[in-house]
Amino acid sequence: MTPFPFPDLTPQLIYHLAGAALVGIALYRGATSSDLLTRILALNVLSVGIAAVFVAAANRGAGAVPDPVPHAFVLTGIVVLVAVTAALLALAERIDLTGAKSDD
Amino acid sequence: MIVFDLMLAAAILVAGWSALSAPDRTGAIAGFLVFGLLVALSWVRLDAPDVALAEAAIGSGLTGALMLRAAGRMAPPAADRVPRAQRAAAALLACGLAGGLAVAVMDLPGATIVYDPLVRADLGQSGVSNPVTAVLLNFRAWDTLLEMAVLLAALVLVAALGPRGTPRPARLGPLYTPFLRIMAPLSVLVAGHLLWLGATAPGGAFQAGAVLCGGLLALYFGGALRPAAVPAGPLWALCAAGVAVFAAAALAAEVLTGTLLAYPDGADKIWILAIEGGLTVSIGATLLLLFTGLRQGGARA
Repeated sequence: MTPFPFPDLTPQLIYHLAGAALVGIALYRGATSSDLLTRILALNVLSVGIAAVFVAAANRGAGAVPDPVPHAFVLTGIVVLVAVTAALLALAERIDLTGAKSDD
Repeated sequence: MIVFDLMLAAAILVAGWSALSAPDRTGAIAGFLVFGLLVALSWVRLDAPDVALAEAAIGSGLTGALMLRAAGRMAPPAADRVPRAQRAAAALLACGLAGGLAVAVMDLPGATIVYDPLVRADLGQSGVSNPVTAVLLNFRAWDTLLEMAVLLAALVLVAALGPRGTPRPARLGPLYTPFLRIMAPLSVLVAGHLLWLGATAPGGAFQAGAVLCGGLLALYFGGALRPAAVPAGPLWALCAAGVAVFAAAALAAEVLTGTLLAYPDGADKIWILAIEGGLTVSIGATLLLLFTGLRQGGARA
């Protein structure tokens, strides 16, 4: 493939790197935020970042048919993530409720 | 077009950061919605329309709706109280991991061509010509079956933890009912179309289920649909229908062909469509109830 220091800029590479950067942003905010909702958002951004890496890896440049297997993985991941998010939000609301009560 | 890709990638990063650093919840969730739609656009650029559809409808739209509902119920966020040292350590670790991922990605293209030839060789026997649907409902149908079980498990948790009795949504303006008369039937039509289309083109049970959920949510906000007024039994049956149909098909295939989830030769498309039909209804109902919540114990609560 392309030599490492000066790779040709392709959409695949750009979104690959953006996905990696998203993983970094999400991990940082997930670790430093004390707000439950922000942490759940960070989990979502983290998942999208990893999905972006998958989708970019499936791409073979313009005109070529992309690999469907990573696409299927990401599709499954999106649905599982919304289920996890709903469950986490229910937990967060419950924690918020009990926390507010104990402060009184 | 490379300039467009660079700008889109930059916009995705800015939207992602603003979703995670906005001081107020509404701003953060608005950032997240923009982020999800931009990501969906970038996946269209990467020739992944199936995934882009699901991200726009479920990953961005429905998740954003869930977040907004939760934000309305929770106290405003407290300021971050994380020590500077922990912040620096987190930044260092996050940068290291992101950098490692970026470098590892550079020589990834060689590693992804593992399954692709297998899919291409067997696509003709899968009963459908959209390779993503073939992977989801035929080659790796086991994953999708378990995914439906995950959705059901999440609903059980939400029903167990959520507040008792969902409040009626506030009345919307006089134009809402005429809007609903067009939108609700249209969402059923689009869902059916996406379901049928999934065999040959981008689409399928998950996108169809998400659209169906959108139509149901519109009815819910119009006051025409009240999940709390329906006995819990039929609602649970509707939500479990996807797993039930899928599991029944898996066992029937085991009896007919001797292999779990190996559909009889030549009849693949009928099996896939029947399973997907069950999945669509079930996904639509489950996603709706994840949003509205379920009243526990039916009339007793």
